[in-house]
Formats: sequence, structure tokens, C-alpha cells
Amino acid sequence: MERKFMLGNEAIARAAAESGVKVVAGYPGTPATEIVDHCASYPGIYAEWSTNEKHAFEVAAAASLTNQRAMAVMKHNGTNAAADFLMHVNFTGIRAGLVLISADDPGALSSQCEEDTRILIHNYAHLPVFDPSSVQEAYAMIKAAYELSEKTELVFALRPVMRINHAGGMVRYSEQKQVDRPAEFKIDRSRFVMSAVVEKESGGELRPKMRHRWLNNKQAELKAIMEEATFNHIEPAEGDVGFIGCGIGYAFLKEAEQIYGKKLPILKLSTLPLPEQKVLTFITGLKKVVIFEEVEPVVERLIKQICFEQKVSLDILGRESYLPKEGELTTNLVMTAIESALADKPYPVLPQGKYIPARTRTQCSGCSHRGLLIAMKEVVQKNGGVVTGDIGCHDAGTFEPMKLQATIYCMGSSIPMAYGIKAAGFAKPVYALIGDSTFFHNGLTGLASAIYNRADITVVIAYNSTTAMTGFQPHPGSPNNLNDLINPMEPGAVAAAMGAKVFRCNPYNVEETVKVITEATAEQGVKVVIAEALCYLKFGRGGQISYIPRQVKVDAEICNGCGICVRTFGCPAIILNDGKATIEESGCNGCGVCVYVCKRGAMK
Amino acid sequence: MKFDLVIAGVGGQGNIVASQAIAQCAMDAGYNVVNTETKGAAQRGGSVLSHVRFADKEIFSPIVPQGQADILLGFEPLEALRYINILNPNGKYVINTAPVPTILANQKVDVYPSQEEILAEVAAKGLSGYLINATQAAKDLGNVLLTNVIMLGAFTAISDVLPADAVLTKLLSMVDQRYHEADVLAFTAGQNSIKAQLHG
Repeated sequence: MERKFMLGNEAIARAAAESGVKVVAGYPGTPATEIVDHCASYPGIYAEWSTNEKHAFEVAAAASLTNQRAMAVMKHNGTNAAADFLMHVNFTGIRAGLVLISADDPGALSSQCEEDTRILIHNYAHLPVFDPSSVQEAYAMIKAAYELSEKTELVFALRPVMRINHAGGMVRYSEQKQVDRPAEFKIDRSRFVMSAVVEKESGGELRPKMRHRWLNNKQAELKAIMEEATFNHIEPAEGDVGFIGCGIGYAFLKEAEQIYGKKLPILKLSTLPLPEQKVLTFITGLKKVVIFEEVEPVVERLIKQICFEQKVSLDILGRESYLPKEGELTTNLVMTAIESALADKPYPVLPQGKYIPARTRTQCSGCSHRGLLIAMKEVVQKNGGVVTGDIGCHDAGTFEPMKLQATIYCMGSSIPMAYGIKAAGFAKPVYALIGDSTFFHNGLTGLASAIYNRADITVVIAYNSTTAMTGFQPHPGSPNNLNDLINPMEPGAVAAAMGAKVFRCNPYNVEETVKVITEATAEQGVKVVIAEALCYLKFGRGGQISYIPRQVKVDAEICNGCGICVRTFGCPAIILNDGKATIEESGCNGCGVCVYVCKRGAMK
Repeated sequence: MKFDLVIAGVGGQGNIVASQAIAQCAMDAGYNVVNTETKGAAQRGGSVLSHVRFADKEIFSPIVPQGQADILLGFEPLEALRYINILNPNGKYVINTAPVPTILANQKVDVYPSQEEILAEVAAKGLSGYLINATQAAKDLGNVLLTNVIMLGAFTAISDVLPADAVLTKLLSMVDQRYHEADVLAFTAGQNSIKAQLHG
């Protein structure tokens, strides 16, 4: 076995390739994104960016039904989007090994919300989940998952957290396995047609009930597998207070144990379902256990259930009953919990820390979104309109200093929410601001719903030809997919075909953008404004930019230091120095949008 | 043996390259190495903390806990202050004194603390270390992008955990040849900025 330094996402891709994976599909999302890129670099793997996670899961599952190992890759919000398919493929089961990567982001460091997809995949869909404690273990779990998925005919999920995906470590690995299986699709409607059909063989039962029973009957097999799995183990030590580390919680627990300097009774649990016998063996004789898991009390509640059923009594402490209920675990948090639990004290309420000036997210200097945001702000300041927002780089327009969008929920929410506000009787104009990748992800159906229901809104699509936020992945409006050059689907043409009135502008030209949005607002019905300009950061490297670069200077004679350029515009290249605006040349990309912002004409 | 390093800076200052050079050097020296980055929801111009941990035994967590780091390299003073509690009581810091104002401070929503305030807060922790103006030194060499190389040179002057020439060689192997001459000058300038304080 070779040994190499790898990031978690690289190790996950490596293990999938070594397992003979043929089809990998995903949608970009931190912290899972790089897995798909790495998979694409292996010969013999078909990898794609699907338009959303549900479709990625469907593509991968169909490949599995066609006798090829496959993987679907997403972050936790994506698993929500794929939940409908999840709640069907669990009942049908699969054919060749199928692994779902559902990466969570405890603490929501790079997410709109903090959640725990173990609940969705295990408690809700009754599927097995591996929760890795290290990069090496994530690698090993993928390899085991493919074997077990085929053995049980079930989807196996890996739920890494950001500290696994984005951590690097030494990984022992082996060679890519070339598995040549026939790509055959065997029709089996009794499994793969999920419908309320009467099953003669089951005495006239409906198929959904029969498949539900099939899935329930699988649970005993899964529990037996987890009892044997090496991912769970007991580390015996003296003492009647035990500690349970789940996934990355085990890593923090082991480090805290090292700092504490004394061996503690530890149970490592990295699988769902739980190995019940192992849990019972560990807790027997203990008066108290503390459970460390990210981020909901999933294992804690399952252990409480086991203890209730087995009539075992001890204190079971964890996220529900002892530790902070929200946020990421840390070694320091675990240390505090160990000391408090051993001293029979409650987990202390820690004082709020002192605020150190934050570095908020904003658009890059030279980004076309800044021109679009300032134009929209000018329009709604005049007409009192409301802007619903969506996911993407432009969402930083909700923060200081723009404070434009009034809502941010999930992928594609901007359009239905915009016309929901109108449906409630709001008299002033409503705008939905959405990016191109998000539009193709989950905006299309919302736009169809708006047009179908004769809404009166203005949808602004920021068309920069890439999924910039997650590192420039292509989408259907880009000139390429992961494998080939394509004819981009132009969002304006799509919207026009759906029946929207389409307008176009270049957001670097703020004056024109204000004019076009104002014109669109005056029309009745669903208007779509395509604000088209290439992402400066992605395409500028290759010399493709959507503006004529100019060196902007501040005329110190004209500048009166009013600070509007800084207070309302927020380009990181502009600062106020001794009562005058100055442009930091090293930070300026010459987009010239600030020239519009300075109404005194000091920016030249 | 266990060694924990954190680099606190602002996105774009080259902390990732610096941390990778050190991580790869530690691997060449035969250590077990783990690393990661802690970023707020702030990719562009945001706060970035790189963790590099190496040891001759198993390392469980990729994140350096509070009070555990042997060295903190502060590429920016406010970021150094933000993460100063990660240093262990015997740890050492090198802080670049050149501030990078925050956007909210530019807009007068926040106040960027003065250098005196930042350094007083650091000093109040009772920790020891060095202050250098790495940004100015990089500008003096003709390129502000050399700031991380100056800090890397300074790191090798306060810690002998990895041989300085190995760190420099590793760094040079990661960058285009046309930058090598400037990188060597910057690395040496960083070393000298510490040595001058040691002997001065």
C-alpha cells in the first residue's frame, strides 16, 4: 500500500475510483465540491455536474440499476433537494454499489443553515450512514460501502463534515480497480416501479407497503453488519463515566484525552444503525456516558431508546441534555465536557466573547454583480420595491453596505417568494434576483409557476456563465460541461420560450442597467432581465472580460470626502484616506463601475 | 514529538502556500502531518486560519485547539489578535504589523483598532513573540506578494523544528522559476528581521 498526503475529498474520490466506480454525479456545494472534480480526473469514470442534487442522485441510481457502481455527491442542502428521490430509492433498493455523499457543515461556516443529514438519511429513509472520524477512515468507509451496498442492495451514505472534506492527512491507498461489468439493464417492475399497484403475490397488498416491509426487514441485516464493522470499537479504561465519540467527535475526544493525560473509557461509534450489543457492552457498569456528535442528538436518542428497551439505567448526556445544542464541536468543548462530567457539574455557560471586527463577504473588485446590485438598489430606492434573493456570490448584496435583498432562503426560492409577496397584495414592485447556475438548479420551475399563475414580478438573472461561489463549475448556461464544449442554454432564450418578456443589459453599464430594469418594471406580467457579463475572476484570467478596462483615478480637487462610494458601494479597492476617497491600484481591476457611483464626478 | 502551527491572515495573502510549504517539508522529514483551513463565511478578502500539525505519533484532529499552538504566524495584526488564544503559554508569535482594513471599518460600521490597541491586547496575554512589518519589507523588495515568503523566513528564524534551507527549497519547488531570485531575497529578509531583534 502506498501512502500519500491527500485532502479528504481527494481520498473519497480515490477510494471510489479504486472501488471501480463508473458514474459520478453531483452539484457543487461546500464542502463536497472537489470530490466530483477529482473523480473526473480518473480514466474510465464518467463524472458530471448535474443541474441539481436530485438529478445527480437519479443519474447515479440509474447507473447502479444498469449494473455499474456509482456515486452521488452533494452538500447537506443538496440532500434536502434530493430527499424526494431518497424516499423512493430506499424502498426499491439498488443493484450495483451506490454511495451517497452527503457532506454536512456543522457551524454553517459556508452554508445558509446548520443541519444534520443523518436524520434525513437514517432516521427518515432508514438507510445506513457512515460518519468518518478521519480522512483515512473516510477512504476506508467508501471502499466498505461499495461492498456492503451490493451485499444488502441498499444505498450506503457517507456523511463527512467539513473537517473531513477539507482536512489533509496521510492516506494509505492502493490502485484503481478496473471493473468490467456488462452495462445491462434488467427490467424488474416489481422493484423499480414505485406505484400504488396491487401485488397479487402478496395477497393483494399495495406495492408501497410491501417495499416498506422489505426495507424494514433489512434493518436486522444492517445491525448485524454494524456489529462486526471495524469502524466501531471500545477502548476500555478505569472509571464509571464513559465517553462516546461519533465521527469527527471521536477525533476531538481522542485529542482531548491526550491533553487530559489519562486514559478514559471510550466507545467509538461511526455507523448508523448502531451496533447495539457493542453499545450495551460499553455502558454496562457505567453510571454516566457523554456523547459527542455533529450536530443533532441522533446517536444520543438511539442509545436512550436502546437503554429503555433493555431496561438499562444510567445518565445519558449529549447534545440534547448537556452540551451546547448548536454549533461545531471542538477539542476545547470536549475537554470542558470531560472535566465537568467527571466532576458531576453541568456544562458551564461560557461568557460571550469580545467582538473583533469581522471580515464580511463581499463581491470581488471588478465583479459585475456590484454594478447590478447598485443599479437595482437605485431602482428600489425610487419605487419602494422589495428584492427577494437567492444563493450565489450576489447574496452578499444583503450585507453592508448594499443591503439590497430582503430574503435569502434556498436554491430557487427567490422567484416563487417574489410573486408570493404580490399574491398577498403588496402594491409596490417586487424583484427576484437569481444567478444563472441557481436558475438552472431550481429556478426554472419557479419561473414556470410564476408565468403560469400570471404573476407580476421582475426576475433579474445574473448571467456570469459559471457557478462562481463554489469555484467556477460549469452549468447549462456555460460554454462547457465537465467533459465537452457545448452550446450554452441562454437563460433569456429559455425564459422567452416559457412566455416571459425578456430584457437584456450589461451590469458593468450601471446607467443602462437602471434604465432596462425600470422599463421592465413598467411592463405587466413576468419580466426577465438578463444581466449578462462574464465572471471577472474566472474568465478574466483568459483575457475574456465584459468591460473595457480603465484606470480609475480620484480627482482630489473634486472629491469632497462624502464617502458615498465607500458607504453605499463597498468596492474593496476604494478606501477613505484623510477625508478623500482613494483607489488602491493593486486591488482595482479597472471595471469603472465606481465612476457611475460618484455623482460629483470625482472618479475619472 | 508534536508541533502545531497556525497562520492567521486574510484571503489572498498567501497563507495557504506558506502552510503547504511547511506541511510538505514536515512530510519529507518523515512526520505524520494533518492540516486544514478555518474560513469564516468569508471567501473573498475574508479571515483565513491555516492549521498545520505534525508529530511522530497519531494526530486525531486537523484543528489546533485553543492554547495548543507552538507558533502563530500573524500575516495581519487583527487576524493575529482574533486567533491569539490558540497559542500555548510557551508558544511564540510573529506578527506582521501592517493592517488590512476590513470593509466594515472602511464604511465606519466597525472601528479597526489601532496598532497600539491590538498590540496591547496581545501583550496582555503574556505571550512572547516578534513584530515585523513584513508588508513593508515585501514592498521594499518590489512586490507586496512576497509578504508570505518574508513571514516564512521569519518562521525558520524563531523555530528550528524544520531546517530553514529545506523550507526554502520546498517553497521554491512550488513556485515558477522566474520568482526564485525574489523569493530567496524575501526569505532571507524575513530571517534577518528576527535575527536583528534577537541580537539587537
